[in-house]
Amino acid sequence: MATAPSGSPSGDLLVPAGPPVAARPRRALIPQFGGIWGFVIRRILLGLLVLFIVSIVVFAATQALGDPARAILGRQATPESLKALRDQLNLDRSVFSQYWSWLTGLLHGDAGVSYAAQIPVSDLIDERIVNSAFLVFCSAIISLPLAIAIGAYAALRRDKLFDSASSLITLLFAAMPEFVIGLWLVVIFATTVFPGTLPSITQIPPGGRPWDDMTAMILPTATLVLTVTPYVARIMRASMIDVLESDYVEMARLKGLSERTVLIRHALPNAAGPAFQVIAINLAYLAGGVIVVEYIFNYPGIGSALVDAVNNHDIPVVQALAMLIAAVYVGVNLLADIGTILVTPRLRTRL
Amino acid sequence: MEQHPFDETSEGRGRSLSRRELLAATGGVVLAGSLAGNTASALAASAAAKPKRGGTFRLGVTGGGAKDFIDGQSITTKPDQARLTSGWETLLTYDRNYKLGTDGLAAEATQDNARQWTIRLKDGIEFNNGKTLSADDVIYSLRRIANPKNKLFGSAGLANVDLAGLKKMDKLTVRMKLKTADSTIGEQLGQYYNGIVPVGYSRTNKLKWVGTGPFITQSFSPGRQSVHKRNPNYWRTGQPYFDSVQVIDFAAPTAQVNALFSGSIDAMTDIPFAQLETAKSHSNIKILESPGGGWLPLCMAVDMPPFDNVNVRKAMRLLVDRPAMLAQVLSGHGHVANDLYAPFDADYDKALPQRHQDIDQAKALLKAAGMDNLTVDLHTTDGAAGMVDSANVFASQAKAAGVTINVKNDPNYYGDQYLKLPFSVDFWGTRSYLAQAALGSIQGAAYNECHWGLTGTPYLSLYKQAVAAPNLTKRHELVIEMQKLEYNQGGYIIPFFNNLIDAYSSKVTGFVPSKGTLNLDAFGHGYRTIWFA
Repeated sequence: MATAPSGSPSGDLLVPAGPPVAARPRRALIPQFGGIWGFVIRRILLGLLVLFIVSIVVFAATQALGDPARAILGRQATPESLKALRDQLNLDRSVFSQYWSWLTGLLHGDAGVSYAAQIPVSDLIDERIVNSAFLVFCSAIISLPLAIAIGAYAALRRDKLFDSASSLITLLFAAMPEFVIGLWLVVIFATTVFPGTLPSITQIPPGGRPWDDMTAMILPTATLVLTVTPYVARIMRASMIDVLESDYVEMARLKGLSERTVLIRHALPNAAGPAFQVIAINLAYLAGGVIVVEYIFNYPGIGSALVDAVNNHDIPVVQALAMLIAAVYVGVNLLADIGTILVTPRLRTRL
Repeated sequence: MEQHPFDETSEGRGRSLSRRELLAATGGVVLAGSLAGNTASALAASAAAKPKRGGTFRLGVTGGGAKDFIDGQSITTKPDQARLTSGWETLLTYDRNYKLGTDGLAAEATQDNARQWTIRLKDGIEFNNGKTLSADDVIYSLRRIANPKNKLFGSAGLANVDLAGLKKMDKLTVRMKLKTADSTIGEQLGQYYNGIVPVGYSRTNKLKWVGTGPFITQSFSPGRQSVHKRNPNYWRTGQPYFDSVQVIDFAAPTAQVNALFSGSIDAMTDIPFAQLETAKSHSNIKILESPGGGWLPLCMAVDMPPFDNVNVRKAMRLLVDRPAMLAQVLSGHGHVANDLYAPFDADYDKALPQRHQDIDQAKALLKAAGMDNLTVDLHTTDGAAGMVDSANVFASQAKAAGVTINVKNDPNYYGDQYLKLPFSVDFWGTRSYLAQAALGSIQGAAYNECHWGLTGTPYLSLYKQAVAAPNLTKRHELVIEMQKLEYNQGGYIIPFFNNLIDAYSSKVTGFVPSKGTLNLDAFGHGYRTIWFA
């Protein structure tokens, strides 16, 4: 999954913040084209530009999937049925005209009609988006606090037992691809070691919601948590160590502040900036990375829909899902940048 | 993945119901005949264990996706097959030995003469909406199937039926006239996808889930799952046994196997060979291996160089080590073939000598043709399991004779190039010889990969005579002649026939291996001959 351009953390944003600089007098918040709001507006406009470029790339790339009419008809393709289907799908129009009607449709919330299922794309993927979003939500709400806690505590206990142990374990999990983790969990909890303890697949009946049966969520969520946590924890640890060694933490300690105040008021906020960036990348990863996990657990989400759509050359579905995933990338990176700015006074004042 | 992963063109079971057999069948004699084979022991076994009512049977099937649909008369994917069999039934049926019989909706199907059939329905069968099955429904069903505009699966098979001439004789009897003599019509009426639907049926209207079958569809989400509830008024007394059936789509066999092992599903189609040993070691998992007649031919176009030289075709057929290929591609789960199809057909020619690998003779033939050190492209795709492997194994076997085969694995193979290539791999299920020839071996056939049996060839005239043959003996002679021609000069290399290997939980009783295109004993005959022990 290519990282959207806005996601590559600019060096400037990633540098752990130095000592707080005296804040300049606050300017009026809205709607001047400067300050934090100006920054947000600029970033949103930039995000939209990125999405526009992505839409061109997605549209062009999906043309390379091949002739959808042939893919739909397969062996049954005859010249007459091909022509009829091409007319029906408007495939004989120029590429620009197809792109334009697709883009304007998308802006009106109309992603077209699935070639394979012959129903509106939204009918096909709406429930799946909810399912995948819930899986990402469950994974994020567990893995992020867990990772921050592990990373921060390991930094505090640097080179002690907890630090070494957590470093080893997080390195181990970071080195394992998610499908290996997922399959191990299935072997342990579903099929072989403790057979039948947990369901090995997530069955969500059509019309049902993923939270109706939480036991079926355990293994897919655990797989994603084990995949994501190590990265965030390791970055959090590194960033926290930098901060703890900084002059201003030393200064705070010398002032005689309690260790608790030093950590919570002075260290954590400064360590959070880089962590936001990593969290954003991981959330964005989750949006695309669920594909593999959904495959393992037969989870009815956007990942399996995307795989199926690519196999079917179902271009409207591929386009809609690619745009959705790109939008998630742009969105979380935007939020992360804003978050970083907010916790980094030096950057904020420079705006 | 191709649109038609398995069998859309491959439904026929081999044993064709001959005219004479069918005439005999009309008194129920065919039913008695069918008891002689596997079915007898199956029935004995089922009699020993009394079926129990209740439970929800969950079946995991791969090969589906957003393109899944439910239609009583058509399929595209394997989950479509699994769903169709739950709700719709055919006039005639094939038993577990591939004998066509009157165990279906028809009490009789009689061929009055070469171009006329009379079909009489069983009395008192109701659709699941309470409507009584009548001759009108049969006429509507046959017209719907045969109309090419509906793009249904069986339309080619019924092309010779005179649709306008279908006549209702009384409320249970239909007279069917043929435009030209066609001895394969009986088989067509037994194809599982030629289901009988009520008058006015369409895939999208309010009758879309109305059939005579043992289960009634309750909900359906393409690419995900469907739920089918027991039909309380089902005409076979006592059946079915389950309260409901769920058909669940799986994107990957790995998840499917895990789901079976962990008890999340009760049965699965097509267990991967790699998982077979693991499955056998599970005490609560059973394997159902059925002899199949499916085949993956390597097709040489007889009118394109270098295969327009019969010696080159002969040489290529001698390059194949069939047992080795069976072992490598199917892990031995199948049987060696002899470049002929339709192994379950009564007219299948078992007398022709089995071809073996003969590198020296192949080299000599190529040399005689001036083609030593031949290099040729072999096109294949992931259309069905084994298509790519077969091509690769053949390429490595051909090296022994100095022949270089460049395997081209092209995902868009079924797009622009299909049927236009000199050398390609394809896939077929099993059917009777003449029905298969009509689809793949004659001029005008929809899928004639080898460009065989074209206008003016002896094969085509033999085919025409065979289809209109006045009696079984004559037809047998003609079909034997046709097979000889294909065996000696044809373009197919057919190394093996594959088995169907499915797995199910030991909780389920009633599955019996059966020769067939459909998995899992034709999905437990539409989930009505199986139950939870």
